[in-house]
Amino acid sequence: MQRALRSNTRFDLIVLASCFVLALAARALPDTMREPIATGMRRTFLAPLVMLQERAERGRQSLLQADAKQSHLDSLSLASMKAGELEVENDRLRKLIGLGSRVRYGFIPAEALHGRGVRDETTVILSAGSRAGVSRLSPVIAPEGLVGVVDQVDPTMSHAMLWTHPDFRVSAMSPDGSAFGIAQAHLSGDIGSYLIELRGVPFRATLKPGAVIVSSGWGGVWPRGIPIGTVLQEIKTSEGWARTYLLRPAVNPADAYSVMILRRERLAKGLDGVWESATQVDQAAQRIVVSGDSAAKAAALAEAAARRAVLDSMARANGAPPLGAVDTAGRAPRVVAPPPRPAPRPTPADTGTPVRRDTIRPDTTRRDTIIRTDTIPLQPEAHR
Amino acid sequence: MNMGGAIRAIISFLIFVVLHYTLRPLLGWRAPMDFLILALLLASVRVRPATAAVLGFVLGLISDSLAPGALGAGAIAMTVVGFGASYLKAVFFADNLVLNAFFFFLGKWVFDILYFIGEQRVHGVELLQQLLLWSPLSAAVTAAVGVLLLFLMRPLLEPTPA
Repeated sequence: MQRALRSNTRFDLIVLASCFVLALAARALPDTMREPIATGMRRTFLAPLVMLQERAERGRQSLLQADAKQSHLDSLSLASMKAGELEVENDRLRKLIGLGSRVRYGFIPAEALHGRGVRDETTVILSAGSRAGVSRLSPVIAPEGLVGVVDQVDPTMSHAMLWTHPDFRVSAMSPDGSAFGIAQAHLSGDIGSYLIELRGVPFRATLKPGAVIVSSGWGGVWPRGIPIGTVLQEIKTSEGWARTYLLRPAVNPADAYSVMILRRERLAKGLDGVWESATQVDQAAQRIVVSGDSAAKAAALAEAAARRAVLDSMARANGAPPLGAVDTAGRAPRVVAPPPRPAPRPTPADTGTPVRRDTIRPDTTRRDTIIRTDTIPLQPEAHR
Repeated sequence: MNMGGAIRAIISFLIFVVLHYTLRPLLGWRAPMDFLILALLLASVRVRPATAAVLGFVLGLISDSLAPGALGAGAIAMTVVGFGASYLKAVFFADNLVLNAFFFFLGKWVFDILYFIGEQRVHGVELLQQLLLWSPLSAAVTAAVGVLLLFLMRPLLEPTPA
């Protein structure tokens, strides 16, 4: 028993010594031999473990970078949200610059600061005051048209009354001068808020929906030619001697952020043509778009007619009636394609004169010049 | 150990090896737990010292193959730890969690001492710092995790009643 135990212990020690020596040998190997052994083990039976470790490392990196990625994503989302606002603001400022170039002089650019009080919808604070040349009753305009009028002036800022204010009035007219009236806010909300009423229009003057209404320049506060709005419809009032129209305002007060304040000395010169040129540019662009549509429509119709003609020719060749002539007695009118043109007449070889193919009309071709193939040839016995 | 017990021990061993290459890099702690040592210790107490030495040698080579610069150092350390654990199993093979924890702690610390001395990569103060600070910390973490896993895997590791 003791001998067996001693033998086992000796065996264990021999195995231990062998493993120890092998490990020492592995440790003592030069790098040139150590690397291939390790690589061989990694690429063979240790490959699954290496793959597991790689995935775990990758997972750890993902976890570590998750916060940074999320913050980066948040920044991008915020930037994209701001981009839309910046685009709108850019467009608004471009329009303002365009208006400035057309007005040319006598204006003060300002920011409109909308309040958060009870009367938010009717007044606004402007970021320019008397030091910049703003005076009381200076008109406030936007690229789209009329915004309001300055009613209080401080050295560095001013207070303006928007056209939505109940006390706001402006003398208005149609651009051709056929109709005049007084524009004011439409206060009853039965049809819709943020609309303008054009009151006191003479009964003989009729305005169609879509007609533009501009300031008339009467009264000395507003120069002539500033767009106020477009006619929506006529509304019935108790006044029997004049018409009242409802206008869609040119400027939505909630969208007025960058405005221009006109100086008093600029009023005398008027603003005729300032908005007309912009309108002309818009109309020209619309005409281009419409003409482009017409050309495309005409091209599509021509292509359809050509296809129909080809189908008709094929139908005739097969002995069927042409497609366009099938329901000529039908109720719906149809475009009947012209019959296929006959084969061109062969050109005589001895004439040597060129023949213009487009001058040959099928309906004027002389019969004797056409070689008929459906006639019976003359038999020699007939002469006998 | 009967057949069923051997299979369960092998499954436990493989689970520890897989955990070493998945959970350990995922956590990435400065003082990491060593599942290979836990696997070696749990296997060594169930086999003869010679088998434990061979097992330690193979496990050491596996761990060294992922760090070719230290090929052999891990094999030396694990051979000694495996043989020692199997030789001393009469002392430590007790159903006492505290004793098992000390067993794991001692095994990991001895392994680290042998490994870093055999590796000869760190020297001087850095070696002392590693052996007296980070290695005990790592050994403590390994012991804690080992006890936890021992508790969780008790149905697999318990000997089958005859």
